[in-house]
Amino acid sequence: MDCAQPDESVPTKASPDESQAARAGQAVVGSALIVGGGIGGMQAALDLAEAGIKVYLAESSPAIGGTMAQLDKTFPTNDCAMCIMSPKLVDVGRHLNIEVLTNADLHSLEGDPGHFQASLIRRPRFVNLDRCTGCGECAAACPIDRPDAFNWGLSQRQAIFKLYPQAIPNAYAIEKAGMSPCREACPIHQRAQGYVALVHKGRYADAYRTILEENPFPSICGRICNHRCEEACSRGQVDAPVNIMALKRFVADWAWERRQAGETILPPRVESQPSGQRVAVVGSGPAGMTCAQDLVRQGHAVTVFEALSVPGGMMRVGIPSFRLGAEAVQREIDDILAQGVELRLNARVQDLEALFADGYSAVFLAVGAHRGVRLPIPGANLPQVHAATDFLRESRLELEDVTEPAWDPRLRGQRVMVLGGGNVAIDAAMTAVRLGAAWVGMACLEDRQQMPAHSWEIRDAEEEGIEVFPARTFHRILDRDGKVSGVACSQVVFRGFVDGRPDFDVLPGTEEEIEADWVIFAIGQHPESEWLTEALPLARGRYAQVDSETLATARPGVFAGGDMVSGTSFVVDAIAAGHRAGASIDRYLRGEAMPLAAALGSVARVELTEAQRRAGLRPMERQEGRRLPAEARRASEREFAAGLTEEQARAEAARCLECGVCSECLQCAYACKADAIDHGQTEERQMLEVGAVVLAPGLVPIDPTVRSEFGYGRYRNVVTSLEFERMLSASGPWGGEVTRPSDGKHPERVAWIQCVGSRETCGGQDYCSSICCMYATKEAIIAREHDAHIEPTIFYLDIRSHGKGFEEYIERAGSEQGVRYVRSMVSSVKENPATGDLRLAYATYGPEGRPQPREESFDMVVLSVGLRPSPAVRAMLDRLEIEVDPNGFPRGAAGTGRTSRPGVFVAGSLAEPKDIPETVVEAGCAAAMASEILAAARGTRTREIVFPDERDLSQEAPRVGVFVCHCGINIGGVVDVPDVVEAAAQLPDVVYAERNLYTCSQDTQEKIARVIQEQRLNRVVVASCTPRTHEPLFQDTLRQAGLNPGLFEMANIREQDSWVHRGHPELATRKAKQLVAMAVTKARGLEPIRRGSVPVEPAALVIGGGLAGMTAARSVAEQGFRVVLVERERQLGGHLRQAKPAARGIDPAQLLAEAVGAVTSHPRIECHLEASIEEIGGYVGQFRTRLRLADGAECEIEHGAIVVASGAQAVETCDYGYGSLPGVITQQALDGLLAGDALPEAEVESLRQGVVMIQCVGSRQPERPYCSRVCCTQALQNAVLLKAQDATIPVTVLYRDLRTYGFREAIYRQARSLGVRFLQYSEHAPPEIAQGEGSLQVRLRVQPENAAVELPAGRVVLSTGIDPNPDNGRLSRMLKVPLTREGFFLEAHAKLRPVDFAAEGIFVCGLAHSPRSIEESMEQARAAAVRVVGLLSKATLLSTPIVATVNPRLCSACGICVDVCPFGARQLNLERGCAEVIEVLCQGCGACISACPNKASQQRGFAFRELGQMVEEAIR
Amino acid sequence: MELAYYPGCSLHSTGQEFDLSVRAVFSRLGIGLTELEDWSCCGASSAHAIDPDLAVMLPARNLALAQRTGLDVLMPCAACYNRHVVASAHLAEDPALRARAEEMYGSLSGTSTQARPVLEVLCQDLPRGDLLEQVVRPLNGLPLVSYYGCLLLRPAAILQSEDPENPVLMDELLTDLGAEARRWSYASECCGGGLSLTRPPVVQRLVGRLVEAAREAGAEAIVTSCPLCQVNLEMRQSGQHLPIFYVTEVLAIALGVGAPAWWKKHLIDPAPLLRRYSLVG
Repeated sequence: MDCAQPDESVPTKASPDESQAARAGQAVVGSALIVGGGIGGMQAALDLAEAGIKVYLAESSPAIGGTMAQLDKTFPTNDCAMCIMSPKLVDVGRHLNIEVLTNADLHSLEGDPGHFQASLIRRPRFVNLDRCTGCGECAAACPIDRPDAFNWGLSQRQAIFKLYPQAIPNAYAIEKAGMSPCREACPIHQRAQGYVALVHKGRYADAYRTILEENPFPSICGRICNHRCEEACSRGQVDAPVNIMALKRFVADWAWERRQAGETILPPRVESQPSGQRVAVVGSGPAGMTCAQDLVRQGHAVTVFEALSVPGGMMRVGIPSFRLGAEAVQREIDDILAQGVELRLNARVQDLEALFADGYSAVFLAVGAHRGVRLPIPGANLPQVHAATDFLRESRLELEDVTEPAWDPRLRGQRVMVLGGGNVAIDAAMTAVRLGAAWVGMACLEDRQQMPAHSWEIRDAEEEGIEVFPARTFHRILDRDGKVSGVACSQVVFRGFVDGRPDFDVLPGTEEEIEADWVIFAIGQHPESEWLTEALPLARGRYAQVDSETLATARPGVFAGGDMVSGTSFVVDAIAAGHRAGASIDRYLRGEAMPLAAALGSVARVELTEAQRRAGLRPMERQEGRRLPAEARRASEREFAAGLTEEQARAEAARCLECGVCSECLQCAYACKADAIDHGQTEERQMLEVGAVVLAPGLVPIDPTVRSEFGYGRYRNVVTSLEFERMLSASGPWGGEVTRPSDGKHPERVAWIQCVGSRETCGGQDYCSSICCMYATKEAIIAREHDAHIEPTIFYLDIRSHGKGFEEYIERAGSEQGVRYVRSMVSSVKENPATGDLRLAYATYGPEGRPQPREESFDMVVLSVGLRPSPAVRAMLDRLEIEVDPNGFPRGAAGTGRTSRPGVFVAGSLAEPKDIPETVVEAGCAAAMASEILAAARGTRTREIVFPDERDLSQEAPRVGVFVCHCGINIGGVVDVPDVVEAAAQLPDVVYAERNLYTCSQDTQEKIARVIQEQRLNRVVVASCTPRTHEPLFQDTLRQAGLNPGLFEMANIREQDSWVHRGHPELATRKAKQLVAMAVTKARGLEPIRRGSVPVEPAALVIGGGLAGMTAARSVAEQGFRVVLVERERQLGGHLRQAKPAARGIDPAQLLAEAVGAVTSHPRIECHLEASIEEIGGYVGQFRTRLRLADGAECEIEHGAIVVASGAQAVETCDYGYGSLPGVITQQALDGLLAGDALPEAEVESLRQGVVMIQCVGSRQPERPYCSRVCCTQALQNAVLLKAQDATIPVTVLYRDLRTYGFREAIYRQARSLGVRFLQYSEHAPPEIAQGEGSLQVRLRVQPENAAVELPAGRVVLSTGIDPNPDNGRLSRMLKVPLTREGFFLEAHAKLRPVDFAAEGIFVCGLAHSPRSIEESMEQARAAAVRVVGLLSKATLLSTPIVATVNPRLCSACGICVDVCPFGARQLNLERGCAEVIEVLCQGCGACISACPNKASQQRGFAFRELGQMVEEAIR
Repeated sequence: MELAYYPGCSLHSTGQEFDLSVRAVFSRLGIGLTELEDWSCCGASSAHAIDPDLAVMLPARNLALAQRTGLDVLMPCAACYNRHVVASAHLAEDPALRARAEEMYGSLSGTSTQARPVLEVLCQDLPRGDLLEQVVRPLNGLPLVSYYGCLLLRPAAILQSEDPENPVLMDELLTDLGAEARRWSYASECCGGGLSLTRPPVVQRLVGRLVEAAREAGAEAIVTSCPLCQVNLEMRQSGQHLPIFYVTEVLAIALGVGAPAWWKKHLIDPAPLLRRYSLVG
């Protein structure tokens, strides 16, 4: 057999997932969608992107990272979760071919494998990702406190937030529930929740600014608004609405006071460019003045014409001064005039066209409705009968002493009757009281409930002695000698207005005469618009007719609004009209189309349930301003209602329920220097074309209240394990100090309760959550590391430490690290209300095995909550029509990641609860499956950045440019940045120095590139933050500008300066200068760095032809690359060849046949049986392996990557009489018996005598300390099969801990229900077997009762576990990769690189790695395959730029560097007599540099000379 | 509001003060109570343990009587209430059983008559404002703990109790009446009432723990809504003298109805405590 290459022209066999699209000749799309940005999603994304597939990574939260980001340390290595994950986050965030889509949910999926159309919902972030630099100034400005969900509510964050400090994308997001109801109800959409929140925080100036966004008249609306906001206020459902109007007044009055005292409380307004256009506004009421302000801000010149001698319209002459003082009106009008509006008083406009003739380009008519209406009844024209508008105007002007007294003497001592029941009537009546009337009455058609005046106004009036006559019609005004003597009226039943006419019945016999000297009509008013009849069409002869959206009249350029359009309305409605007119006129003047009004976003309605009300919302009294008593009011025209005190205002603001979450107060937008905030963003659909989909959205914790008896939510010191992770985390809310929530004390006795919500058939979930035993142990260990006083106790049912290295971890925790394990189900937790301590009740066993209830007190309890799919994920699976099991997990084919929908794969815990390494493996498996489908389209959707050629610098002297960053105020707020720039400019070779607000922003990158070219810079220094996150960005900028990236140097003046020396700005500035000087010194000597590269041989070697090896080989081949598979035995299949019964959806025989068939027939797989590996040489991309073949011949193959799948073997035992007692067999032997169709009758006879299975034979013992993982499941499967064959067979399982992790728990439950008995034994007293009469006798002491039990058995079945392959040692030496102490291969990192070795290009899978099940082996094999493909799909491999170098003249070839290099990148060249660096393997860690005794090794970019100069600069 | 009334055996014997205070309070609150004519024992203490059939048939008879009134039936005793609701559930899911019961006692269908416990009527049917309007003597911060025992809340699925581990109705009522409902974790623990006569040492331990927990919580009395609990708690505490009230007794004090006459029924005289808090003349 030779080593000929297989024929490349043979077409690939179609895989089951291969798309219909592909079969139909439609091109496969070379991109994939991954749903979920946790560790699984990230790994799948990286694997696929490296394999040449374009990846969209959709994450529903604002940042990727998932649950792992929330964890403190990880088991079993106790690495910091964030520290090991952070580089992955950065890799994903920076990967050219991974597009991270945050706030994104997969909504629907159409099409077939290879050609899907995915529809994503992108929820708005309200922050522009391109602009946000993550500086955090917005959050500092946000007044809304929210429980921080990332910290499980243990701390607060703002409504604008970054998910966690290291979040990718490094950007903020805003949490909104929608527009608050108060804002929605307001005609001008005042940001009421916003300024209420700011008042709550005592930020009155900010509140003032927020109010002014929409309302130029806060003092006025703070006094006399009809405040529809309060009607909409959700607080009304609890007790009473928030007194929003009073808060507005408080802010406006506070601001006025400060401004009078000369304080500046608003930032200066940015002047706009004059437009050269002039606009006339007719009428200086709220509509006119609002419009004038808006237009002047747009750069137009505005003149306001006012007929009266005072500005303000109805605000000034329609509302009495005791409600609204003249001063309040004047100050806000003055504010508008100060912006450049011209006001002409006593200027009545009578000719519209004349305005245009005078040069005005547009006119806004807002003359109000000042003419009062009188009823046409007898006596209506008597001299003592007046219209309320006239009466109020004249009296107001009189009281302000503007004109001659007109009314005063005649009203004193008179009886005044006001006809009307609205606000104006009340105002007129109350004015009459103040003018000295002896008696005032008011009568109206409406009954009390129908009266248009607000109830509180009627109350005020009556308090002042005004008599109210509701439900009256007036027949005539009586006169005596030509003077009014009274009003004749009757009682009525009033039903409302029909077509503007009143509809009522007069009650016969109720006519009465009310004595009066004066009558005031307050029954309506209309505009004085006679002068317009020629110019414009008028409705009902009076009202201007306008387009309701634009307020444009029929005459182009003329707009109208306010009362003259709508009839009498409220100030706030007029302001709304003013804004609308302002916007329309501006667009008109610019010649732009008139837009429709922008649609409002959704409204955040808060429905308060009874329960919520009970839970947290205690009634709080609504604060009201002080009011003058009625007697004092009658004698004074001064405002009778005082505003709130500051104390009252803060208390009132605290009542707000913050319905919208974000209050839209805009403080973030004001604070953002990068202009990144966009409150106008809306939800969007995004369509993606993808060839495959991977679902990795993860799981959420099970609600701990399913075990209500543990008191979570009621007892303060009961927390969940995930909360405890945040408590432990150094970056968590408590900085890693473990304290009790109730009193902040350091807990000593801490208990963990396992299986909360897991392994439960009522309430919780019936499966095992797989990870809790390990994380609880880790938390216990870490807690003790934080505080040695902590005494952890873990209450558990079975310890499930089935992963690699887990058993030893648990063992050490118990024996060395002080963790106490108690095997017992805790039945209840009780709280001592005085101390907050917790009493746990559980059962133990006394000396005679009698159960004894026990109570034990703890300071704190941690509930080890299990995991389940979130409701959102379940809904997504439903939408995608993916079949799920009753627990909501997708049903799929084990070991493949397949779901019921072809082309859609599942990875990570959504497939089954699992830990991080299993998740990473499964992500790789799903990526491999997707990559198999997309093999034909590899590289079609990915892109590479092409940089311009590098400039030749050989003849140039150093020209250094220095860019110093303000980082908003992060650096600039402490360090004197301009000073640093000045100092930098003085440094030698520095030809350019400048400062930037954010040096990392996109526009600054463009600027740096430009400056490099303009100034001919050839070295660049950036003084800003950490090179860890930002160096590659700046280096790319250099490459764009034609410079080698090695010519860049960074000075960290943020983390290492401004952040740590906040209190010492001067010293910090000095340090910044030093750091910059050091960086410049180094930069001057920098040289271009050339990266080494090697071509890649596009083939893989797979060592081992068992299931894992065959699966890996087949997957690599399916993904389009050549594979050489080497198997030592005569046949493929390994352990799978041994007969095993089908169980849990896996038929081993079928699997074997399929795999062998696929491997032997695949055109890209070359199979060598009975072959051995003699030598492996070369390195990643360029391996050369010498094989000895079956016929004894040798051949050499070249390949770019290696997969180690050398398998393992069953433990050989002679314990328990195996080999000597004939009835004692292994579980594998029982497998063989059960794999057949039926058991032999003789065998059944013997089985009927009893089957006793003994677990952990040879596992979990000093000589073999690990758990073999598969034996419990195997035993239980066989027990169930035995019971299925013959229910009378007594089956007993003797175990130490039953490890049916994940969904395997179902088998355990099934076995119990079938009558399989489970007896626990202690490792210290293993069962004993003796040959009895006719059968074996098994004796043991059953735990925890310690009761002696004797069992007869026809068969004793030993679960013997798994031993590593004895050949591993030889193989590991050839590969130069390490083994574990037990002899399994040791991966690069237990958590995040489970199939990699530290040495590049070599991967491991299957039993060679650790004991694992059939499906787990297949998953791992595929994960290895996709890593191989990631490598082979590159034409060449580049070394990292920072590599070690050797000076052969100094090297003595001592070999120390070879020993210390963890990556195998060092070798001795004996011919040249010196050490060498294999650059493509070197990771630049520097270990060899520090180890070299001769200083012969140096690190590129960190030469001794460069570092020395930096140190000298620092100490100069 | 009108209700039929089933006092059960306890309220005619050991729990007379419960009966008297229920009648006094409901009368003040304007809720009419008409005692079911010819009611019979529900078998609560033992029937369910020895004869499952009897355990359903005894309540079935009362349920049939109640059907004829067309009214919901108030069952102050937690054990009676529990048995009747559980029996109803059995009758609803077993047509044969139901047919047999109807043959003996008459129709069980046609109306939606339900057994109702006192707390639920007081706290859920009656608007709290209406109840509080009648309060003449707020409870002056009297420190109490609410105690429900087992039978009022369990089995939760059949009794439709929201969370048997964390009942809140009584705490809210007591707080609104001006008492200080103390935090404790024992509101639905077993008092051992069922073993009161057969295993006194067990019961003494359980009661002792409850009384100790109440003391620990700073309570000066326990308030219950079950005549078995009340008697058991009074009788089996050793040397503690912690008064045990029925919830209706506490309510009666607040409403100013009823005479202290029924207090002589208490094994532990609550009068000194009430005097200290100026709740008795």
